[in-house]
Amino acid sequence: MERSSLVPYLLILPAFLYLMFFVGYPLVQALYLAFVHDGSFSLEVWKRAFSDYYFWSAFKYTLSLAAVIVPTQVALAVVLALMMNRIFKGKDAALYALIIPLTISDVAAGLIWYSMLSPYGFLNKLLLNVGLINNPIYFFGYQYRAREFLAIVLAELWRSTSIVFVIVLAGLQMISRDYLEAAEVFGASYWTKLRKIVLPLLKPSIQSALIIRTLFAMQVFGVVWILAGRDIPVLAGEGYYQLTVIKDTGVASVYALVIAGLSILLGALYIKFLKAEYLEVGR
Amino acid sequence: MFVRKLFGALLVAVVLFGVAASGCISGGGTTSSPTQTTKTEVTLNWLSTQLNPPEEQNFVKDQLLPDFTSETGIKVNFVPISYSDMVTRLEGEEKTGKVTIDVIGDLHGGMDYMNSKGWLEDLSNMPKLKNRTFISTFEEYSKINGKKVYVPWMSATYVMVVNKDAFKYLPDGLTKEDVMKGTDKWTYDALLQWAKNLKEATGRPQLGFPAGPKGLFVRFLHGYIYPSYTGYEAKEFDSPDAVKMWNYLKDLWPYVHPSSTTWDAMADSLLKGEVLIAWDHTARIKNAIETKPDQFVVVPVPRGPKGRGFIVVLAGLAIPKGAPHKDEAWKLIDYLTRPETQVKVLEKVGFFPTVKEASGALPEGPLKILAEGVTAQSSTSDALVVMIPNLGSKGGQFKEYYKQAFERIVLNNEDPASVTKEIKPKLIQLFTDAGIQVP
Repeated sequence: MERSSLVPYLLILPAFLYLMFFVGYPLVQALYLAFVHDGSFSLEVWKRAFSDYYFWSAFKYTLSLAAVIVPTQVALAVVLALMMNRIFKGKDAALYALIIPLTISDVAAGLIWYSMLSPYGFLNKLLLNVGLINNPIYFFGYQYRAREFLAIVLAELWRSTSIVFVIVLAGLQMISRDYLEAAEVFGASYWTKLRKIVLPLLKPSIQSALIIRTLFAMQVFGVVWILAGRDIPVLAGEGYYQLTVIKDTGVASVYALVIAGLSILLGALYIKFLKAEYLEVGR
Repeated sequence: MFVRKLFGALLVAVVLFGVAASGCISGGGTTSSPTQTTKTEVTLNWLSTQLNPPEEQNFVKDQLLPDFTSETGIKVNFVPISYSDMVTRLEGEEKTGKVTIDVIGDLHGGMDYMNSKGWLEDLSNMPKLKNRTFISTFEEYSKINGKKVYVPWMSATYVMVVNKDAFKYLPDGLTKEDVMKGTDKWTYDALLQWAKNLKEATGRPQLGFPAGPKGLFVRFLHGYIYPSYTGYEAKEFDSPDAVKMWNYLKDLWPYVHPSSTTWDAMADSLLKGEVLIAWDHTARIKNAIETKPDQFVVVPVPRGPKGRGFIVVLAGLAIPKGAPHKDEAWKLIDYLTRPETQVKVLEKVGFFPTVKEASGALPEGPLKILAEGVTAQSSTSDALVVMIPNLGSKGGQFKEYYKQAFERIVLNNEDPASVTKEIKPKLIQLFTDAGIQVP
């Protein structure tokens, strides 16, 4: 009996050690750097971070990017998954094409979109050659931050919608055909089936996808850095900049902790407000 | 009961693991033990803040060092490193007395700092380096308070590159000669007029700066236009002259390519024809000139009311105190400062030689275009030579203040007088903390 009670602990031991070392230790270190000044507890570093010229705009941009990208992505992924969840010719090829962006790193995705949208890139060349425009359209530069924002949204949608898509598609395929067939017997239309059966049953998948994407959105960095540099500051980018260029480890830790705090807060909110739905579905 | 015991054991295990793992990390590092069994198997550790971009690293590792190794049998471990990391490592090694670094390659300011901490050897007693004459100003810089701190290794500066097509749109009263030679007429106001003409003629802004996150535009601010307008880098940061300068930049910016704030280097933009005039580091525009040597000329920067401010970057090679292989390190320094090695460095990575013999040995072509521009710039009569101030780990913060002033005043249209007044005390504080005179 003793042996069997030991087994679960031994099984989680490696993961526990791993997390302690690679997550716990840096976290303690970050807390130390952010809260200790000249050897004693102090909020000096936080004051320095909050008074930083870029802090609040980074905060604002990170949240607004997430607010634009995540809902669009989820809606897009649901539509795509519904389209892909039927049998048609070339389905496999279409599926591969949709999932390819999953294999590309964010920096590479940023570079692809930069070269497409740059003044002498693919898009501008196309428009110039067709004769729609006489001068290239600028997407990048401080004066065009709205367009830079758009470019980031496009790149992020292209790059990371597929992860949402995969989760939603898996959810769709788990919905039993029995429900749909039963509905058909009663003469339900496509829209009724979608509203009353498919979407409610899809909720758990959508919720997990939503959580994953929102948390990742708090760390958005590579794409923004490539496409807009610091024209559009984001929390992760500023943390990186503080650490590598300004060499202010304290402020960099504050950025990291703010990202962690936001992630925990948003995660908790999702779980609190979406938990009931899980239970209902499971009932 | 048992669970509690288990947790105790677990805790002990975690602590032990943590101690062991962190020990590995701080104690390890890239270097192997310096003990050697045979005399021939010497491996030098050469830490350098220069030649760090991947292409330049490849050149050092694949072309520069193999020749040295085959000649002397000494292997070299080239460690590209940031300034602050290098200082941290050297400080640690000097304090514990376990020095593993043999050669240091860094800029003048860094050498000055490390010397002031007493970490560098006096090189005056080393054997004479034969067949080379160091450029006298560099030689003077490398002796600090009578001590030979480093050997001048490479130099660089930032210049303007002009696509020859741009000369068609010169403003009245300014000739190609004026620009190429850097006469009194080649002023910042003339540049503004020229940029305006270019935009009107081509419909697009044609002047470019590397003002992206990793671009060197900040050097233009503190080392070029600030001294040209105020006579100083930081001292007159908020003076009326400085406000005049910021207003000038505001006037100029509509004629500057809008993508400038995302560009880190200008070679590509010049080659693609996105801009006709650009300012950048010599090493970062070299590629453009090499690819189309007939298309571009390198010219001195314009002058301002107080003169023609420009930065001279000087890198040197030093040996830390207690270096394990001092004689072999000297051989490496000897090799790196030979005229033929210096020409090779200029050809491959665009850093200029520090010995006179090398300058004479330059082949015709793109490099000569670069060298001529650099020489023209440094021999202008109103030259205001600026050195990059050495603020140690605060160097990033120093740059940040100029960038911030630029973003707020020029891009965000805030009032130059109030922004500079707000930033100046913080800027001056950096110099006070570092114990350096405000330049």
